[in-house]
This record gives sequence, structure tokens and C-alpha cells, in this order.
Amino acid sequence: MRQKAQYLYIEIKKTIHMLPRMMSQAILLMVLIGAVAFCGTKSMEQEPLAVNVDIGIVVRENNTMTRMALSYVENLESASQVCRFVQVSEEEGFERLAERRIAALIVLPEQLVEGIMDGSNPTVDIFFPKNAALEAMLLRELTESGEELLTVAQAQIYGANDVAAAYGMEEKLSVMESEIDSYNLAFALDRLAIFDTQTVSATGRMSVVQYYVASGFVLFLLFTGMALYPVMQEEPQAFCRQLKRQGTGSAWQCFCRWLCGFLCMCVFTGMLWLMWMIGKIFLPEQMAEVAVLLVGSGSGYTAGVQIAILCFMIAVSATWVYFLYSIPGSRTGSILLIFLLSVVMVYLSGGFIPSMLLPQTVRQVGSVLPTTYLIRASGCLFVGYESGTLGQCVAVLCGYTILCGTAAYFLRTRRI
Amino acid sequence: MSSCRMNTPEWGQDGGLGRRIVENMITVADITSSYGRRQVLRGASFTADRGECIGIVGANGCGKSTLLSVLAGTLKPKSGEVFYYGRLAWGCGVGGRMHGEKEFIRSMTGYVPQENPLIPELSVYDNLRLWYPDKKKLRQELEQGFLSLLGIGEFCAKQVSKLSGGMKKRVSIGIAMAGTPPVLLLDEPSAALDLVCKEDIRRYLQEYLARKGTVVITTHEESELDLCHKLYVMKEGRLNQADNRLRGEELVKLLSQ
Repeated sequence: MRQKAQYLYIEIKKTIHMLPRMMSQAILLMVLIGAVAFCGTKSMEQEPLAVNVDIGIVVRENNTMTRMALSYVENLESASQVCRFVQVSEEEGFERLAERRIAALIVLPEQLVEGIMDGSNPTVDIFFPKNAALEAMLLRELTESGEELLTVAQAQIYGANDVAAAYGMEEKLSVMESEIDSYNLAFALDRLAIFDTQTVSATGRMSVVQYYVASGFVLFLLFTGMALYPVMQEEPQAFCRQLKRQGTGSAWQCFCRWLCGFLCMCVFTGMLWLMWMIGKIFLPEQMAEVAVLLVGSGSGYTAGVQIAILCFMIAVSATWVYFLYSIPGSRTGSILLIFLLSVVMVYLSGGFIPSMLLPQTVRQVGSVLPTTYLIRASGCLFVGYESGTLGQCVAVLCGYTILCGTAAYFLRTRRI
Repeated sequence: MSSCRMNTPEWGQDGGLGRRIVENMITVADITSSYGRRQVLRGASFTADRGECIGIVGANGCGKSTLLSVLAGTLKPKSGEVFYYGRLAWGCGVGGRMHGEKEFIRSMTGYVPQENPLIPELSVYDNLRLWYPDKKKLRQELEQGFLSLLGIGEFCAKQVSKLSGGMKKRVSIGIAMAGTPPVLLLDEPSAALDLVCKEDIRRYLQEYLARKGTVVITTHEESELDLCHKLYVMKEGRLNQADNRLRGEELVKLLSQ
């Protein structure tokens, strides 16, 4: 027992001795991952829709009623946000339409308002350019659907008129028309429906920033494995045999080295926290803004649960890295393997591009990888998860950890 | 299932073989060992007394290191017996299976493998601490014991990665000497060392032999053969005793026969 404790002490001492070098490498990795995350966030950010379409209006009869109606439509919020009406002459309007300086040309007939009021409903002509641009195409679609709505509403009114006349219910006609109008207006001009927004995000419940921080953290954990070479790489066979001879078994040797790697990863993660705290001291306002972006509505977990999740994630990552160090047996081979596998696995798990945007086959492969569950677990630190989802993550990751740990043990002891 | 000899002699037993075992520090009888299907040792036998140095020579890959691994307890033989001071170290146990008294082997032997079992990132002192858990005893050894004889105290604070090959080998011998075992097993200790280092190691071994320690050494160096009281040539997994005065062409001739 004393020999085993002594070996653990020596391994930890070696780890502390090597820590500054490993930390400097980890800082370099952090800068690299930070740059990747920044680029990713920038590429995912979407500018609000800025459509500003000019629509030409030809008013054949420029009277007060028409001007009032036009002003009313122009000042509607839903209209003013997306388009601007430009009053033009008919000739100038067609000229601009041909040059595509306007997305559509509306020609208002004479007696428009009076016609609406007396039911003669004069036709409004709307012209669109040939080979229209995107804005004009959208406008055309909207106009056509509006026209359909108006046609239906008109048919409803005429139908009601016919029914009332047939059954001698003319006195109820005004009530029926009023009902039909209010129904159609409620359907077509539901302003709440216009301003109601529903966000559909490829990053699920997480915001873009949260998503990239979550997957970036997983990538960080895996990449720091490359810096853990001095503590996790296999010791020379002669050393391992000598230890075994002295009573320090292979299982204990493996555990000690894994533990040192785990502790290093904890230190690196602690370093991230330290940087955050330093940032809060020197850049309080900026860090407060970042905190709002990161925390969002919060996970609902206590600090203890969050630390437990973090430790679990670190333990899983440490086992994975330890397993990879057991395969090739050489420094360059191990580091290359960790780098390539980390990048590929995080990509397949949707760490660079959200999995919703990846092909179906890639998503299927990604769904069985440990990195997928690590990213989910990481994300749950920000937004929380239903107990079932977190339980699934924990179960799958435990399975991977046991599998990788056992495989690493057999690979290493086979060579001793 | 290993095919073990069941007539294992025991400590103090009268009779020919038993008496010899008691007298000898090491008795190795018919050791066989294999890596998969490849049989490396096919019945290696030899004996060594206290204060005796046994030299084992042979071509690369003939099984010298395998034999030392068996003697050091890191490799389980397929059959045969090994005795230290008359006590069975490797032999048939319950149910005819090969059984090793590893704790006993460890207390009896110090093993210096070809590769140095050192942690390059740490100091010599830290490396020694791993094998000498008792701080007080380590200090004593460094001041007056075998470690001081090896001159390790002079570079104790240095990082192992900054040591020369000879220094590293001295530390390896120092590690093997933890617990002051009566048998020292050395696997080509002078390989890739300069002449001065070779001479130093030779001197330490002479001192160890003078203290009635037993040395088993595998080597390709003629200078180390000068230390040997018995010389064995390993061929086809067996040990054949040769005249320990054989050197140069005669030895090469014997090896290539």
C-alpha cells in the first residue's frame, strides 16, 4: 500500500512539475478555439430582414378622399416597415418599372373611394416587372393572396345578398355583411398575427452564443488532451515492469495516470473560470453583457449540480484522451490522433455547424458519438434539461467511459 | 496448463539436489518460456553461489533478457524451477500450475533492465524516493550506503533528462539496490555507454561481489566477462557452461557454432 501511495505521490509531483508547460499549451489551444468560436458565432448571426421596397403609385384622380386613403395605407406600421410608396405619373411609373427602380406599380382608378363605398368596386391595377427580383416576387405573391382573400370576401357578400333576397331577409342583410366583414378583417388583418414572432433556431433551446460556447468547451477539453502527453502517455515498459515487480499493479498505474490527467483538465477548466473572474474585475460592463448572453434564462441548476456535471464531463473526456494515448504508443501518433478525432467527432456531432443543418447520414453517425452527448451535457449547464435527457446523456457517457477505460487498461497491460 | 516437475526439493531436505540448493544462492532448473508459439527458453539451468558473478552471453534475441525477466519475477515461466537460497521462487503450485513467490523474489533480487526505469521529468532524488519510500533510509544510503558508492549523491538534485547515459545507469543500479537484495540481475548494463562509465560500473559490481552479493549479468562486453566466475553461452534456449577465460575469436566461434 505504501508503495502504491508513493507512486501516486510521485505521479502527482511529476504532473505539478509539468503543469506550467502544459498550461501554456492549453492557453494556446484556448486562443485557437476562441477564434474558431468567434468566427462561428459571426457566421451564424443573422441580420434582421431589411427589406425596403419602393412601390410606385399612380393616382388618376387626386382628390382629398384618395389622398386620405393613401396616407392611411402608407402610415400603416406593417406597410411602412417593408415598403415606401412613391407617387408617380403613369408614364414615369412604367419607365421606373422597366428599369426595376420600383418593385411594383399600382394604378388607382378614378372614383376609387366612392366606388368602394357604393359597392361598384373599381379595379385597381398592379403591375410587376418581368423577371422580378426577390422583393418583387414576394410582393407579387402577397398581392395575389390578398386578391384571393378579397375575391372570397366579395363572393361572401354577394352570396349573403342573394340568400337574403331569396328568403326575404333584407332587413338582416346589414348585420350579415357586418359579421362577414368582421370575420374577414379578423382573419386577414390580425395585427397580432403580423407582429407575433416565433423563433426557429438550428441550435435548439440554446442561443447561438451558448451553442458555440458549449461545443467550444467540449473541443477545449479534448484538445487539452494533446497537452497532457507527459502525464497520460504510456511509461516505458521497463519502468512499468519494475513498478509491477515492486507491487504497484498495472491497474493502479493506469488509474494514477488517468487521475493526473483528470486533475490537469480540472486545472485547465479552473483556468477558464479564473480568466472569467479577472475579466469581471477589469471589464465589468462588457463581462456583464457576455454573462447575459451566456446565461440567458438560466439552467435552474444549483452551483453544486453544475460543478458535478462539469466534473463528470472532465472525467469522460480524460478517459477518452487516456484511451487514445493507449492506441498508437508514440507521441506524434497520439497527438495527431487526438487532434483529428476531436475535430471530426465534434464536426459530426454538430459542434461546428449545428447538426440540424448537416446531412442526414452525418446526423445519424453523430448521434452515436460521445461528443454529441458531451455537447448536450455542456449545453445543459446553460439552459438545463429535462431529467430524462440529462439521464440519457449520463448513461451513454458512463457506458463510453467504462468501455474506453477497460480498452485502455487492456491495451496498456498487454505491452507490459 | 504448465508441465511442472512435482519432485520439488525443499529447504533443509537431505539428498543430492536438496543439499545443493541449500548451498547455492541461485538454482535455476530446466526453465522453459515462450512468447505465443515461439519457445524462447527450452530448459535453461545454472547455479550461482554467494559472491559469484555469472556471465550469460549469446546472440541478440536468444533469450537472455527473458531468462533475467523470469529470475526477476516479471515473467512467468512455462515450466521449471528457480530457487533463491534454497527456497522455491518459481515452481509447481497447487494443481500443478506454475506459481511464483513474487514478494520473495522481489526481496531477493535487484533487477537492472536494459532500459532505465526512470521518470525523466523528475530529479534523481524523486526517482529514488519511488523505490525508497523510507526517507531516512534513503538519506543513509546516499551518505554511507551503496548509493554513495555509486556516487549518486553528487547529482541527486539534477533532473534525470539532463543526466548522461552513465549517470542514468548508475541511478538504475541504485534503484535495483533498494532493499539491499543479495542478488543483482543486470541486463546488458554497459550497452551504449562510454569507456569511463563502463569502468565505473565494473568497479561498483566488484564492490558488490566483495560484499558477497551474487551477480547475474548478460553482456556483450569482454571487460565485464572479466568479473565473471562462471560463463554460460545461451543457444537455442539452453545454457551451456563455457570456460570463463574464453575471449575474442574463441568466444565468437563458440557463439556462432
